[in-house]
Amino acid sequence: MKVMKEAIAGTLESSDLLVKVAPSDKGAREIVIQSEVIKQFGKQIKRVVAETLDKLSVSEGSIVIEDKGALDCVIRARVQAAVLRGAGSEETDWGTLS
Amino acid sequence: MKLRRSMLFVPGSNAGALSTAFIYKPDSIMFDLEDAVAQSEKDSARLMVFQALRHPAYQEIETVVRVNELNTQFGLKDLEAAVGGGADIVRLPKTENADEIHDLEARVARIEKACGRAVGDTKLMAAIESASGVVNAVAIATASKRMIAIAIAGFDYLVDMHTRRSNGSEPELFYARAAVLHAARAAHIDAFDVVYGNIDDDEGFLREVAIAKGLGFDGKSLIHPKQVELLHRAYAPTKEEVDHANRVLAAAEAAHRKGLGVVSLDGKMVDPPVIEEAEMVLQRAQSS
Amino acid sequence: MNGTDDFYTVQPKDAPPEMEEIRKLLASNNLELDDQIEVFVVSRRQGRLVACAGLDHYTIKCVAVADDVRGESLSLALGSEVVTLAAARGQFHLFLYSAPHNLPFFRGWGFYPLVEVPQRVVLMENSPVAIKKYCDSLREQRRPGRTIGGIVLNANPFTLGHRHLVEQAARACDWLHVFVVKEDAWLFSYADRFALVAAGVKGIDNLTLYPGSDYVISRATFPGYFLKEKMIIDHSWAAIDLLLFREYIAPALGITHRYVGTEPFDPVTNNYNADMKHWLRHAASAAAAITVVEVPRACTRGTAISATEVRGLLAHGDFSRIKELVPTTTLQFLEARFPLDMAATR
Repeated sequence: MKVMKEAIAGTLESSDLLVKVAPSDKGAREIVIQSEVIKQFGKQIKRVVAETLDKLSVSEGSIVIEDKGALDCVIRARVQAAVLRGAGSEETDWGTLS
Repeated sequence: MKLRRSMLFVPGSNAGALSTAFIYKPDSIMFDLEDAVAQSEKDSARLMVFQALRHPAYQEIETVVRVNELNTQFGLKDLEAAVGGGADIVRLPKTENADEIHDLEARVARIEKACGRAVGDTKLMAAIESASGVVNAVAIATASKRMIAIAIAGFDYLVDMHTRRSNGSEPELFYARAAVLHAARAAHIDAFDVVYGNIDDDEGFLREVAIAKGLGFDGKSLIHPKQVELLHRAYAPTKEEVDHANRVLAAAEAAHRKGLGVVSLDGKMVDPPVIEEAEMVLQRAQSS
Repeated sequence: MNGTDDFYTVQPKDAPPEMEEIRKLLASNNLELDDQIEVFVVSRRQGRLVACAGLDHYTIKCVAVADDVRGESLSLALGSEVVTLAAARGQFHLFLYSAPHNLPFFRGWGFYPLVEVPQRVVLMENSPVAIKKYCDSLREQRRPGRTIGGIVLNANPFTLGHRHLVEQAARACDWLHVFVVKEDAWLFSYADRFALVAAGVKGIDNLTLYPGSDYVISRATFPGYFLKEKMIIDHSWAAIDLLLFREYIAPALGITHRYVGTEPFDPVTNNYNADMKHWLRHAASAAAAITVVEVPRACTRGTAISATEVRGLLAHGDFSRIKELVPTTTLQFLEARFPLDMAATR
């Protein structure tokens, strides 16, 4: 999947995260994470985000995350929602979302 | 026998609620993709629910998904997310007639086959939210073997009836409640009472719970976690009820040991429904 | 149906009844209603307006939450609504101005400080990395030299006066970096202005021309600049824009000198030049001081050349006079865009 336009998903509320995706101007994939719990969970958040993007075959794009202490399942969902919105995609292959 | 006293509504777009609802141990959790979610957020909420369904915390608790009506642009995708995500039950809002249940069942079966889930595994429930729904309640409740519950949704129903809640003895809900209850009993499924919206009024909530329980409702749809414990306590049997239930079951056990076909207690015959009720009383007692 | 707050939007231009309540809520938070705001997000509880946040293009303004409901979740929900609304309007890179003591509140909204006018105001943006990435891209354009110049041009349209300024600066510097203000707020669109600048500076070899940026005289960083028509003079806004230049842009490119034309006509620009000297050179800052060079305006027939005059002449179709004020490239563009038989509009 390719991020064709800027998009966001999620909220700033507790237990949620705000995900912003944008097309990459360098043909690379860049993940930036800000979190209140970056020290304890930064690596895990990054892993979940990267896995989610891999499953959607997103190899390029800028992904900026403002995390408010979200569970893995919420991180997955919001990243998926932002990517689908950024790709302008209606189709959902549930295999790539699992 | 699955206890279904409390069905806690969780808006699919609310991360905080999704992350904590299981802590309150309701009998069932209903992830809502319909009225609680704004149009612009339906896509995101659907993914939230799909992912939450797969979370370890929700494997032990009964999960329900309220999909959007199937004739909207959202309904079918919601169904795929619900069934594919492993929801135990799909709740169809605004059910008007039995055909809608047949249609729902057929679609669910197709999705089960496509995603490798055992056909028949996903159960169904209907929400009655209109006069037509009330009038067709029995047909709806008996429309499919997958049907396990029927609920009355008060707000939309009363709008359809050109009236509103009176917050008193509620004659405006009487017929609908009775109809839904009778349909549930005829179909041997559970009946859920209306949502109580005023979360700041615990006394009012408990008054309504008493009415519903007195009428025979198995449970109630809840919109706030604190209502779970209030409801469970209200449904908890009294000591006398528990003692009586124990005696009924002891009598049944004794009759079974003696190889007798008929159970009796205090000189009176005890029918199977009474024994079932005793089992339910003990279950409620254990869970509160 | 559930316990969450309900948010909805109002547009000030529709003069809805909410505006009076919004004014009161802002006043109780020591804020004045900013009349540039295009849309407000508001929230009610039991019929009372308890929270509001305004959006002016891509700047968030006039954020207020009633004292008695000031709790985490309402504020964060308000922030989410504003950010989502902005995104729906195609605005993803957002700015806001905060009193320094409110910085933590807006950090919760995912905003990060850019520059601060000490004890007065902080400019924030909704990204932890955007300014850094911008500066990284600028850094790739660095050129060696002891005297590196910078100019920010509006050029509405590009005149011989602008050409004179650029030539003078290029002559005095080892290298010159020229930025074009990116907003579409005037007679000539950004695209047209940029094209005219590019055509007009051809032949000057030690020059790099940059497309406009949110960080260089934009609606976000220097709102007062865009209200010239109203003769609004606002010094703290200029500070923000200038501090951004001094603390981020200039260091990335190694700029040592900022060039401006003297400003005999327009009070806002004239004050801006004075502010420039203060904030780029004299004010205390961790970033190096930058020398401000005011280049006397080019003149014809005794008057300084001004784009304002060119626009005025356009309205009358006086191309013979315009010819004396603009380079050929600009003249050709104007003649094509405003043929004599069409009534020109300002």
